[in-house]
Parts: sequence; structure tokens; C-alpha cells
Amino acid sequence: MIHTISVLVENQFGVLARVSGLFSARGYNIESLCVGTTDDPTVSRMTVVVLGDDRVLAQIVNQLKKLVEVIDVIDLTKESFVERELIMIKLEVKGARRTELLEIAQIFRAKVCDVSANSVTVEATGSEGKLKAFIDMVRPFGIIELARSGRIAVARATQ
Amino acid sequence: MATAKAQKKHPLAGKTMTGADMVVQVLADEGVDCIFGYSGGAILPTYDAVFNFNHGKKEKDQVRLIVPANEQGAGFMAAGYSRASGKVGVALVTSGPGATNTVTPVRDCMADSIPMVLICGQVPRPAIGSDAFQEAPIFNIMSACAKHVFLVKDETELEATVRSAFEIARSGRPGPVVIDLPKDVQQWRGEFQGEGLLAYRGFDKRKAESDAIRLSKDKADEFFRILRHSERPLLYVGGGVINSNGAPHLSEFAEHYGIPVVTTLMGIGGFDTTSDLSLHMLGMHGTAFANYAVEDCDFLIAVGSRFDDRVAGKAHEFAPLAKNIAHIDIDAAEIGKVKAITWAHTGDAGRTVKELLQHGKHVKTNFSAWQKHILALKKNHALNYKKTGDLIQPQEVIEVLNSITKGDAIISTGVGQHQMWAAQYFDFVHPRSWLTSGSMGTMGFGLPAAIGAQVACPGRIVIDVDGDGSIRMNLGELETCTTYNIPVKILLLNNLGDGMVRQWQTLMYDERYAGTDKSLHKKDFIKCAESDGFEFAKRVADRKDLKKVLKDFVTCKCPAFLEVMIDPYAQVWPMVGPGKGYKEMEVGQYITPRASSAPKAKVDIGNTSMF
Repeated sequence: MIHTISVLVENQFGVLARVSGLFSARGYNIESLCVGTTDDPTVSRMTVVVLGDDRVLAQIVNQLKKLVEVIDVIDLTKESFVERELIMIKLEVKGARRTELLEIAQIFRAKVCDVSANSVTVEATGSEGKLKAFIDMVRPFGIIELARSGRIAVARATQ
Repeated sequence: MATAKAQKKHPLAGKTMTGADMVVQVLADEGVDCIFGYSGGAILPTYDAVFNFNHGKKEKDQVRLIVPANEQGAGFMAAGYSRASGKVGVALVTSGPGATNTVTPVRDCMADSIPMVLICGQVPRPAIGSDAFQEAPIFNIMSACAKHVFLVKDETELEATVRSAFEIARSGRPGPVVIDLPKDVQQWRGEFQGEGLLAYRGFDKRKAESDAIRLSKDKADEFFRILRHSERPLLYVGGGVINSNGAPHLSEFAEHYGIPVVTTLMGIGGFDTTSDLSLHMLGMHGTAFANYAVEDCDFLIAVGSRFDDRVAGKAHEFAPLAKNIAHIDIDAAEIGKVKAITWAHTGDAGRTVKELLQHGKHVKTNFSAWQKHILALKKNHALNYKKTGDLIQPQEVIEVLNSITKGDAIISTGVGQHQMWAAQYFDFVHPRSWLTSGSMGTMGFGLPAAIGAQVACPGRIVIDVDGDGSIRMNLGELETCTTYNIPVKILLLNNLGDGMVRQWQTLMYDERYAGTDKSLHKKDFIKCAESDGFEFAKRVADRKDLKKVLKDFVTCKCPAFLEVMIDPYAQVWPMVGPGKGYKEMEVGQYITPRASSAPKAKVDIGNTSMF
């Protein structure tokens, strides 16, 4: 099962190495890892997407909590959460086909962020499923380059 | 960690000193009376600070310096010091190769949960990352091995970093902490604070919670409900009992209810092996009666142990009749990791056992039928070995030595057959008397660990029981014994090869002895010891000399070296093959097995992923 874990860590030198080292040393597979500071600049949030059963997940959470710099670990999959990823795709598009692309982009609420005589770069955000659908739709134009941010997530507010 | 209690101001607070002086002062404040280490360019300022610290002080107020032949030796000396004393051992080495030579002891400490602080010099901050002379990425390397690593980038945090390193090393599940210390930080001059720790929100909170956790009445009641409904309870005790100084509580608990005890290799010393309730060690080379008791028990109580593969190689078949398994461990990650648990408590092993006893002192139990069964198991399936022939058997050497030391000596070992024979045939009465590389299985551990233990416990008899393969790995440390007149006793059981690997090759690889035969090696160990200044350096090859020479060896006041030529074909029995269950335990030729219907197939080396 795919789990999304939110790991709050001290925003310090070497923390990413410690966390990613733990995953590689114990043989856990990271599907996606995304790091950035939170509202508090001394705290970073790592959003880690991993594959594993409940037992593996319990191990990951408990092992992460043994790292000195880890402030908290939350397995978001256990609760309701929203998840987003940003992708940027540079497509081979010229002439009249641009309109066709823009129509697809609009459906997915994607935006054009760069354009040249022979190409258009589009940015899109969303869940994994939406982004996969979008990529599948624009693939026929010819993908020159694709970059993705990795997933970030927050728990939904409870009433 | 920011739990600064109201304390007297440090007498040196406010004084300007170098970073190196601060390091040594904090070490002294932490009660460090000995540093094991090897100097070099990037750590020179700190060595100079040790010299200055000691200058003019009485010997008892000094921080002693023991210099090994190789930094790996320093790491294992610090580990031996920790294991024998319960204090945090300290190693101090230079950058690059000095630091990388300590990777093995750091990993070894991590695997066996031993508190240790390693301080490595590092190239000056501006040179980091420039492939400077004797530069190595120690933060990255040690991150994979240690409990925690600091690279001191901000000199004003140096003092608090050193203090925090000790705090982290000994808190919770203990482990090694590495401080990577750039040379310019050592040379920096600043004001000494005399107090303060680094603040870590998560760590501090978890530590405070863990320190405060107490066993609830309901939880204790539940435990005793299970115990009262059990007929055959068994305590399965690991190194956590030793680390938490919980051996006295464990003994009281076991004796109060009359519950038999098996220990892991790391748990040896956690319960007096001469007690009727003791079944000694379980596992791959545990006693047959311990493993039979695991097979028979209906309630397994794991205390500070972790069901590792040398104990529960086939986890689903481990303790098959146990209707309940209780697990007490300081590390939440160990609970339920291998085996499903019916009752668990995350907490200090010794304290939890003490709390259980407090809650349930009035609980009456009667396990007399089970105790009778245990005594019969011990009698009918006792350890045994070849008693005929001219060749000296390793087990008899240890039996004779044990008749002299009577469970009072501190025993360290290398790794292999001699380690298992020592674990099986010595009596252990006190905790911290058995120093062995349990999880990592590091050959070469024995001699430097014995040196560290002897420094920590000058009044005790410390014996390194070693093998000819293992001792070669850190043979350079023989000289360290004589240089500092550290009176360790080294018993080398020489079987001209890597006996344990040879045993596996005999049993599983059709006697193809690739790389393990040392009969053509030319080394004369006695000459080695003599050349390093050992006044007592003897070899025994004839059984009739054994008793007298062993007596002289143990009572010798100086460092002593004794080589005993043993039967090279002697094997360690019993044996639960890799990846096998206890039903498939083989007892060898000399131990009486219990009638069993389970077929004992040879380990299929091509078809097992176990090791």
C-alpha cells in the first residue's frame, strides 16, 4: 500500500542525509520525497511517499522517531489529507496545434509558463491521478522535457 | 534536552579558552577519566589541550590517554570501557583515515546498543569539501552507522555539542555518537559557559516522555492475569537488562515467581547462570535445554531482547506453544518487529521489571511442575563434548579456567567458535562481565575491549578469550597492554584456522575449506607476545600442563599471554542451522537430544537466503 508520511524535522545541516540514509539502509523504497521549510523557518517538512504494508510503515515511523532531528512523524494515510504535485512539461508544439493544447490545458487547469516558436511549457498541479491523466493527454504532442516536484501533503482540517 | 536544573555555576564559566580546551573540560565534567585515541594533524589542538589539562594535576584528577596501535583499537577500547563500567567510553582520533578506522567500532556499538562518544578531527571549515589532505566525509559515513553525528560548523555551539553527545549516547536505547570537529573550531578562542545543551524539540520531548513513562496498574494487572493463567512461563532476557542496570530487578522478579530464565548472547550476565532457574543462553548455539524450554513454554516474557535472527531464525516457529508473548523494550521500533506480541510495554527494561514486581508482589504463582521439568531438561540435555583422545578440547580449557575464576572475571572475546564456547562454558554471576561483539560479530574485538575494560575496572581479572583468526585482526594492541602495564590476560585458543567458518564448510559446503585454513601460517604467537614485552607468554599443547599454567596465568599480576593448541576439528554444539527452527536443532555427538519427530535436513546452501 502507498503511504504518504509527513516528517517534521529541525531545519539543520545534514538532516536530509540522515532521513534518506535511514530509508536506503533499511531497504525502504521512496516513491517521492519533497522537502521545504514550514511557516517556522527552523522547521522543515519532508513529505515522503513510500510503499509498504502496515508493519513496514510502523517500522518506518518508529525508526524515524529515533532520529534526533526528527520532531514529529505523521502517517497521513491514516487520516484524511490533501496531496498535490507540480509538474512542468515542455512540449513540441507549433502553429495551429497550440490551440488544441491550450484547450486540454484549460480542462486540467494547467497554465502556460513559457512559449517559443517550436515549444510550449505548461505547468500543472494536482493529485497523482490527475497529473497522470494530463500527461497521457499531452503525450501525443511530443514531450521534450518533464520535471516534477514530488508530492506535498497536509492533513484535512477536522471540524 | 533543555532541562537545565538549577545548578552551581561552573568554576570556569566566563573564562576565555580555546575550543579544544572546552572539549577537554566538558569531557572532564562528564566524568571521563580516560580517553582512547590516536593523534594526528587535524586533532592536534585537542591533544595539546589534554596535555595542558593534565599538566600540574595530581594523577587522579588527570584525564588519562591510552594510545592504541590502530584507531580501530581505540574504538573497541572505548567500547570495552563502556560495556564493563556502564559509563560512556570516549575515543579521540584525527580526520580522514583516523576517523574511517573507527567506523567498525562505531557500527559495532550501534548494533549492540553501547554508549560511546567518538571525537574526530576534521580539516578546517574553509577546507571542507576541497579534497584536502586527510579529509573524509565523516558526517556522511558515520550517519549510516552511528546513533547521531555532529559536524561542528558553529564554534559557539561546540561546548553544548559535546555535552549533548553524552546525553544522546546514554539516553533511551544507548548508542555511539560522533563529533566531527574541524581544526579551526578547536583553535577558536571563546568564552566558556560551563553549562547548556543543544535543544532538539522532538528528541527532548520523546526523552522526557520516555523518562516519565510508568507502567499503569491496568497494564500490570493484565500481565499478571496472563501469568496466573500460564503454566510454563519463561523469561527471555537480552542486553537491555544489562544496559538499564536492571539485572538485580530481573533476578528478584524471576526468583519471586520462580520463572526460569534464558538469556541472549548480549544478555549473558543479566541473570546468574549458576542459579537453578538459569537455562543459560538460547539461540543458534544456545544450550539444548534453553532451546527446549523455548519450545515448551506457554508464556514467553521478552525483556530487553529483540528476537534477532540468531535467536529466532524462523520467527514463525519460535516459541510455538507460547499462547502469550510479552515484550518489554526501551525501543518502540523493536516491539512487534519480528513477532506478534500479546502484551507490550515500551520502557526501560530494569525499571519496568521493578514496577511489575511492585504491582504484583502479592500475586501467588506455583510453577513447581514447570521448574521440575526445567531441572530435568538441564540434567538430561547438559552441554557435553569429546572427553577422549590426546588433543586438548577447547571446552575443557574454559571449564578449567572457570573453576579458577568462578564467574568473577570479566571475559571478552573475539568472534567465532571460541566466542560460543566461552559463552556456553563460563559461569556468569554479575552483569557487565561478558563483553562480546554480539550483533556485528566483529573479529578482533576481544583484545582492545579487554584493555578498555581493564582500564575501567583496575581491580578485576579481565580475560580475553580469543581465537587465532580474531586476534590477528588487532594483534598490534598486544603492545598497548605492556606499554601501559594493563594486566589483561589473553587466552588464545589456537585451532589453526577460522574455526566457525570451517565448521559451516564442514556441515554445509562438503568440507571445501576455502580461505579458512591457517595451518601453513608461520606466526609464532609466543614470540609475538615476547617481542611486545610480555613477561608471561606461554604455550600449552599437552593436557597435563593445562591446570597449573592456567592458574599461573590468571594469578599473574602483569599482562599475560597464553596460547593453548586445541583440537582443530572441535565444533560448537548445539546448533540451530541458519534459517532453521528449534525443532531442527542438532546437538552433535556428545549432547543427549530429546526424542523428536522432526526431520533434520542439511541446510540447503543454494536455497536459503539465511546467513
